[in-house]
Amino acid sequence: MTRVANWLDERLAWRRVWEAIFLRRVPKVNWFYTLGSATLFVALNQIVTGILLTIYYVPTPDHAYDSVQYITTEVPAGWLIRGLHHWGASALIVLVVLHMLRVILGGAYKYPREITWMTGVVLLIVSLGFGFTGYLLPWDQKAYWATTVGTRIAGTAPVIGDSMLRILRGGEDLTAVTLARFFGVHVWILPVALLTLIGIHLYLVIRIGISAVPKRKE
Amino acid sequence: MDEEKQVSRRGFLSRTIWAIGGLITAGFGIPAIAYIIGPALQRDAAQNLIRLGAASKVELGIPTLFKVTVQRKTGWIVNEEELSIYVRTDDGRNFTAMSNVCTHLGCRVRWVADRKEFFCPCHNGVFDKDGNVISGPPPRPLNRYEVKVENGQLSIVGG
Ligand code: HEM
Ligand code: FES
Repeated sequence: MTRVANWLDERLAWRRVWEAIFLRRVPKVNWFYTLGSATLFVALNQIVTGILLTIYYVPTPDHAYDSVQYITTEVPAGWLIRGLHHWGASALIVLVVLHMLRVILGGAYKYPREITWMTGVVLLIVSLGFGFTGYLLPWDQKAYWATTVGTRIAGTAPVIGDSMLRILRGGEDLTAVTLARFFGVHVWILPVALLTLIGIHLYLVIRIGISAVPKRKE
Repeated sequence: MDEEKQVSRRGFLSRTIWAIGGLITAGFGIPAIAYIIGPALQRDAAQNLIRLGAASKVELGIPTLFKVTVQRKTGWIVNEEELSIYVRTDDGRNFTAMSNVCTHLGCRVRWVADRKEFFCPCHNGVFDKDGNVISGPPPRPLNRYEVKVENGQLSIVGG
């Protein structure tokens, strides 16, 4: 074991990477500083369960609903996988917002952490995007009408509203084209964005180190 | 530190974290495996009766072809499927039902009346009237179905 570890360390220097990530020094902080890690955990949960869901889910109007029913009622542990993804989606939004509040209230967005904050803002938007596109995928009544309303809200924007609605829906109406593009965004575009941004976000957290709890007199 | 195995606070926490990590991994991993391989483990458990038709249609000694459509569910899709079954009897009371699917590579066999054999055109497989292999590549006799006769109506079990 140690010999293999040493052999690898000689070539990869993985111990230094390990130390930089897990054995870095942190100021004495409180539990609110775990909210980012909690968000990260739920994000990983969404990735794992989301990948599993694509094994059975089919994003076309004639199969989407039935394939989701199949997952929840017939595939072993399918109810669990879908449940984790379903509730994880809400938990992610709640945690992202709480994490952001901690950063705001602690003033942790200030120099030199502006870029951490900016990637965080985009992560929030990406998380909301996941929620919006994922909601349509079960293709039931709630999904259909929620997306009808949601895309129409985009349509109320002045000047560009109508084109935005058409781009979101992939045409005038909510159709197979809409379902397919929401699926594509949900499982390809947003995950790539999420992973890239989390990478930068965490790199900066480790590179800069986390902020200390603000003191009373400053 | 006189005790041999003094557990440090750091060592204890580190081990606890690894244990929790292991539990979480198992908590995801085990359902994930069940989820992925689940449908592969389901056999066609459809043990319902499939009605073929009147037993009187079967001539003594001659395998008679029955065609029925059955509904088969694959995943969430229900398909209509046509089954072709040869039924044979010597006495009008005991029936044997055979699938017409060749046990070699799945072509359809047909009864050649003047030679009193089943013949598979794909690779010249030949079976006798009971479905046993006479010649050619098929490795096994034709598949049999359990037959039920009720009020002169033939049914087979399975799908
Ligand atoms: C998917 C979404 C997100 C994930 C996975 C994530 C993850 C993390 C983690 C693990 C940390 C270090 C631990 C901590 O301070 O809690 C952190 C720090 C930070 N996050 Fe996020 N975050 C996300 C979204 C956001 C958002 C929406 C914002 C604000 C707009 C934000 C701004 C920051 C900042 C400024 C820090 C540095 C805090 C400090 O140094 O004290 N993050 N993030
Ligand atoms: S498939 Fe029947 S002989 Fe090959």
